[in-house]
Amino acid sequence: MLRIEELTVRFGAETVLDRVTLELPAGASLAVVGESGAGKTTLGLAVTGLTVGRLQGRILWGGTDLLTLPPEEFRRLRWNEIALVLQHGGDNLHPGLTIEQQVTEPMIEHDRHKPAAARERARRLLREVGLAPEKHRAFPHTLSGGERQQALIAMALANDPGLIILDEPTSGLDTVTRRDILALLHGLSGRCALLLLTHDLAAASALAGRTAVLYRGQVVEEGPSGKVLRGPRHPYTRGLLRAYPNMTTTKDLQGIPGRAHRTHGGHGGLHPHTHDYTHHPHPHGTHRHGPEADPATGDGRSRHRGCPFHPRCTQAVAPCPTTRPPLAGEEDGHRLACHRGGIVPLLQVRGISKRYGAVRALEQVTLTLYEGETLAVVGQSGSGKTTLANVIMGLTAPEAGEVWLEQEKVARRDRDFYRRVQMVFQDPAASISHRHTVLQAVAEPLLLHLGGRLQDHTDTVRRVLEEVQLPSDDLFLQRYPHHMSGGENQRVAIARALTLGPKLLVADEPTSALDASIQAKIFRLLLQLQEERGLALLLITHDLALARKVCDRLVVLQAGRVIETGPSDQITTSPVHPHTRTLVAAAPAFCSGCENK
Amino acid sequence: MHIDYQRAVTSSFQGRTGGIILGVVAVTALCGPALVGSPATPSPAVLQPPSAAYPLGTNDFGQDLFAQLVHGARLSLAVALGAGLLTVLTAALIGGAAGLARGWADTVLMRLTDAVLAMPAMVVIIVIAAYFQLGPAGLVLVITLFGWPGTARVVRAQTLTLRNKPHVLAARTFGAPGGYVLYRHILPDLAPILVVGFLQSARRAVFLEAGLAFLGIGDPTIVSWGAMIQGALRFFYLDAWLWWLLPPALAIAATILSFTLLGNILEALLDPRLREVRHA
Repeated sequence: MLRIEELTVRFGAETVLDRVTLELPAGASLAVVGESGAGKTTLGLAVTGLTVGRLQGRILWGGTDLLTLPPEEFRRLRWNEIALVLQHGGDNLHPGLTIEQQVTEPMIEHDRHKPAAARERARRLLREVGLAPEKHRAFPHTLSGGERQQALIAMALANDPGLIILDEPTSGLDTVTRRDILALLHGLSGRCALLLLTHDLAAASALAGRTAVLYRGQVVEEGPSGKVLRGPRHPYTRGLLRAYPNMTTTKDLQGIPGRAHRTHGGHGGLHPHTHDYTHHPHPHGTHRHGPEADPATGDGRSRHRGCPFHPRCTQAVAPCPTTRPPLAGEEDGHRLACHRGGIVPLLQVRGISKRYGAVRALEQVTLTLYEGETLAVVGQSGSGKTTLANVIMGLTAPEAGEVWLEQEKVARRDRDFYRRVQMVFQDPAASISHRHTVLQAVAEPLLLHLGGRLQDHTDTVRRVLEEVQLPSDDLFLQRYPHHMSGGENQRVAIARALTLGPKLLVADEPTSALDASIQAKIFRLLLQLQEERGLALLLITHDLALARKVCDRLVVLQAGRVIETGPSDQITTSPVHPHTRTLVAAAPAFCSGCENK
Repeated sequence: MHIDYQRAVTSSFQGRTGGIILGVVAVTALCGPALVGSPATPSPAVLQPPSAAYPLGTNDFGQDLFAQLVHGARLSLAVALGAGLLTVLTAALIGGAAGLARGWADTVLMRLTDAVLAMPAMVVIIVIAAYFQLGPAGLVLVITLFGWPGTARVVRAQTLTLRNKPHVLAARTFGAPGGYVLYRHILPDLAPILVVGFLQSARRAVFLEAGLAFLGIGDPTIVSWGAMIQGALRFFYLDAWLWWLLPPALAIAATILSFTLLGNILEALLDPRLREVRHA
């Protein structure tokens, strides 16, 4: 078995791996995932003794510390006990030798077999990995990428190693070949341990029992693959998953703000305060840190300090830039390195009940909305959706239940609450006072929170208006709601809700009055804000087709009760509750197979 | 909100007419008394037809009728203004409080409103005015006392509607304090109602003041349009009604008309939805 303890690898001043601790039992499989440059390859090279960097810590293989091993012994260990399949390894095959010769070579070199037996074994292995016998004597350049990958795996298996390290085994392969390689690797499970270094999250979920997420040389999350990849706890893992195209999730792809690597002298983190118009000091410290706040987190030395992800994290708090969070164990071995205990539940609604006379508008409604997440509350008219929004906003007093924001119970709704939580009302034109011009309407939250005069906020108002694709000239600023179209009013209402830079936007049918083209733009904007600064969206809608594209999770309401909740893809593809099935069936879809109609 | 009142009033026929009439009455009420002689000083020249000295002739005490008409304007407008403002203020406070507070306060205030509304106001006002020999100030109070419930009910109803308007709710979700919501979002939308209430009360006050004086109730020494009409009735057999009765009657009618016309204009003006689009 392999045990990596506090492994640190440095190249010059740069720390490529930083106190990585991982464990891989015999015959098990572990995927290490992360973006390019996270240190995955270095990890593989370190374990096989091929890295040129300075190493610290311990790599225990069956009780021996590989880092103390003399080079001679390491060479013996390599291929015999630990085999490495390099990234683009096909290019490293000897161009002048046939595949069979190259698979035979390590067996002979390590004196495992007599040449004849070795050739025999090589053929068997090549057949086993799916390479047709007529290709065994082919030269590498005549083979396809997939076939070369198969050959490399056969090579790795030659001496029956206890561990195979595969660096990006699926990169550059077409989907069918990739599937075959994955099936092949799957067949190896139990025969030897697999250490999979990949950015292919689907491969990790298919092959590895456990997955570790590496970010800039540090393990930020580690646990059973199913949990890590379907229920990520670390903001980075979620970002990685959101950016990963797959056939399971239905939400549009989203990136991670900022860059993993800094250019010289540049600020590699988030663009400071792109959407934070108010520059409020945040009492709970969930604001990001601008360039002035983290002068030197990017260079190699300061990597030791703080959480590596904090410049890109939308929920960073005070200790994040200075103290490194420990990779703390959770129940069932799901480990996480985050000062905030993973993605924070931003809004928690607990057991809310509300009646209007004999009508039960809400009955024991409980839901959780995480930081940077979109949660849709779907249901028919009269299912209690709007009442729920009003209860959250404090416009309707519930008979029972509590609302929690950022893990604190909301006792009273003061300005601090409303700066973090904003709402877009169902009827946008009516939600703007007919006495207010666009300027007055959009500036109202700013005036209430920052004071000053109307003119002081004109520039901010223009900026938000442009963001929601509205004109920002003086003529438009002087318009009244009744001079504008429904779509314009709706966007003014959205702009107004965004001026304070809220963490949570409660949107009650925010695009009901809009054409699909503008609706698409608005949601692109909202999802972009979500990507950039972790805006959480509580989307109240009856449009399941929309919800599935923009939401991470869905809550289905019927007659004031939550009847189903789960990931959008799961609810829209395999709904459990009969009413959910009705809603899904009624959602708009193009008729398939009737192109000739 | 920027409203060009002058322009709005002068740009319509109704507004111009109302404005001119009220302007004439107001200027008369303000400046007139200083220019004409005493309206109460008797003279030997009784029941004179109009002449250079007495443009509207004299009454049976030889008092100058033109001077009485001019002084009457001051009284009528003063009572109208006082009663109008006081009534609207009372109505806004009681109706607004009931609409905002809801609950038991609402119930108490509305039962009070119903109780006042149920009283035969005219009869009670006549009784009180006759018993206390009310002067103008007393009259303003009595008119207010019985005039507020109608407007208060409308104010309450409107407040109840307004407090649940999305834009009021939206203001609350920006963390606006109650006073701000009231001042910025509720009061402006109550304004048309208050203006209408003011003009109704003012109209009523002009009417009531004239009516009471006509009936001879109240302080008989006060010079007013109503008292002039009352005096003129006894000399109907003379041609005197032409210069004695008709001028105060027309003055009353014109003043009331001006309030009505301005009411229409101001109501339209305070509600931008009734305003014409002025964009180029």
